[in-house]
Amino acid sequence: MNAIEIKNLTKTFGQKIAVDGLNMTVPVGAIYGFIGENGSGKSTTEKLICGLLVPDGGEIKLFGRDYTDQDVRAKIGVLIEQPGCFPNMSVWNNMMLQATNLSIKNPEEEVRKVLKIVRMEGSASNKFKNCSLGMKQRIGIAFALLGEPALLILDEPINGLDADGMRIMREVLVDITKNYNCTVLISSHILGELEKIASHYGIIRDGEMIKQMTAEELDKNCPTYVALKSKNMAQTKMLLEKKYSRIKEENEYLRVYDDVKAEEIVNYLYKNNIFVTEIKTDKISLEEYYIDLMKEAK
Amino acid sequence: MDKEKTLDFKSPSFFQRLKGMLGVDFYRLFHTPMFYIFLGIAAIIPALVSMGNTGETAGLFTNAWQIIASDSPLYVVNNIGQYANMNMVFIFGGIMISIFIGHDYKSGYVKQLFTTHAKKQDYMMSKTTVGAFSMICMCGTYLIGGVLSALFTGLPFTVNAGSLICALLGKLIMSLGWASLYTFINVIFRRKFGISIALCFVLGTGIPVIGAAALFGNSPVLNIFLYGSSVNACLSANFVTVIICLAVSTAWAVIYNLLGSWILSKRDVY
Repeated sequence: MNAIEIKNLTKTFGQKIAVDGLNMTVPVGAIYGFIGENGSGKSTTEKLICGLLVPDGGEIKLFGRDYTDQDVRAKIGVLIEQPGCFPNMSVWNNMMLQATNLSIKNPEEEVRKVLKIVRMEGSASNKFKNCSLGMKQRIGIAFALLGEPALLILDEPINGLDADGMRIMREVLVDITKNYNCTVLISSHILGELEKIASHYGIIRDGEMIKQMTAEELDKNCPTYVALKSKNMAQTKMLLEKKYSRIKEENEYLRVYDDVKAEEIVNYLYKNNIFVTEIKTDKISLEEYYIDLMKEAK
Repeated sequence: MDKEKTLDFKSPSFFQRLKGMLGVDFYRLFHTPMFYIFLGIAAIIPALVSMGNTGETAGLFTNAWQIIASDSPLYVVNNIGQYANMNMVFIFGGIMISIFIGHDYKSGYVKQLFTTHAKKQDYMMSKTTVGAFSMICMCGTYLIGGVLSALFTGLPFTVNAGSLICALLGKLIMSLGWASLYTFINVIFRRKFGISIALCFVLGTGIPVIGAAALFGNSPVLNIFLYGSSVNACLSANFVTVIICLAVSTAWAVIYNLLGSWILSKRDVY
């Protein structure tokens, strides 16, 4: 069974096609990284799944049921943009109101539990309007966690956070996936962070899903390479191009994507009187893979 | 597979959902200063109205209870005294409901709500109930304010007690219909709550019904409208008046709730 199964989903706003025949499959238990440029249709897709927008066409199934099914909706936790909190109320009261709305049996216990997960137990008495962006995002996740959801939908939860905020958020997300038995759909621009937690990926462009893959598949699609620097980069490049087929200049380094060891390259260049000043073996990141994919799509 | 096995999809029952939503809305109502400000406004209005009963405009009211309801169901009024009574609560109630629902959209509460199992009809019902309750409370403070104003200005309190009770009951009952109308308007205009406030104000003043009455005369047919029935609940009211108010208020509440739920389900929420 898939947690989310979308077929030919379409949504337009006036003349603008925001989601264009999108297909998407999120298996149960996955942490699905939803990637795309600004305005590519990520948030619209998430809002459609959440029921905040009405689709023009297509089908959305959650755990095999229609997405409007109230039983299945009771098991969805959502953070879209910022959490819907009353600014003059305390974090605790906002949480309690949401717990009341969700008809949670032991609201105080549940609220305490989720606030602890998001590292906000000490700030529960703060007014929501006085919370920092990072805190607000964590409160949003706490909101989403109320009622033990089977599916979490998080729209850009790490955007705008500073390094420390991102670290805490990453820890929180890892905790959730370990301790909660839930599927997570998470969209973000910060691919480096996403890469650390996602088990599946979906890449969207102009409202269309252009690629879906598992982390293992991404790993295969992201080859290792040898990156090097020398005193004479132009000559080095010329020499490398003679022997290797896939050479690329990137961030002041020459990259060799062929299946070759660093020592071999160093020896080859040394024999040709080129002294390597810096060399490392690395792997293509999700971000680089994504950028390449976008270039291809364009 | 283990994860699939542990999934248990069961949403709360209708009553649980409504109880939860009402709990939230009533908590918010009692914790917002706006509610108490409007209660205060409702209490002050009779004092302001009775001020018109002095000096050159003396004689607008000949009886204390005319501050609460007019003597007879006059849709087209000849003076402010025939217009300015407890029906004014429904004008201010509309503004209060618009601000209350406007906050739902402004804060993102609606967004948070409709991503869960909450049904659109629950939302309509909850807001209508809370809106009606707040207007009933405002009627209460208006009554207190009216009685105190009448005592202060020395107006006589002679009245047919049965008719007065029927008039008061009728107006309290009409709160439900008015609250459903205002909730419906706010659901249509959503975040543009300035428009909602303006429209609620215009409808609350009864201008469309007064206009119709001016064109076609004081016909009892106008009682099918919220303003018509509110005017009909006057100091000559009887048990039938209460029944009419109940029927009209309930009918409009059902219509507006159904329409509002339908619109919410067919339109983008946020």
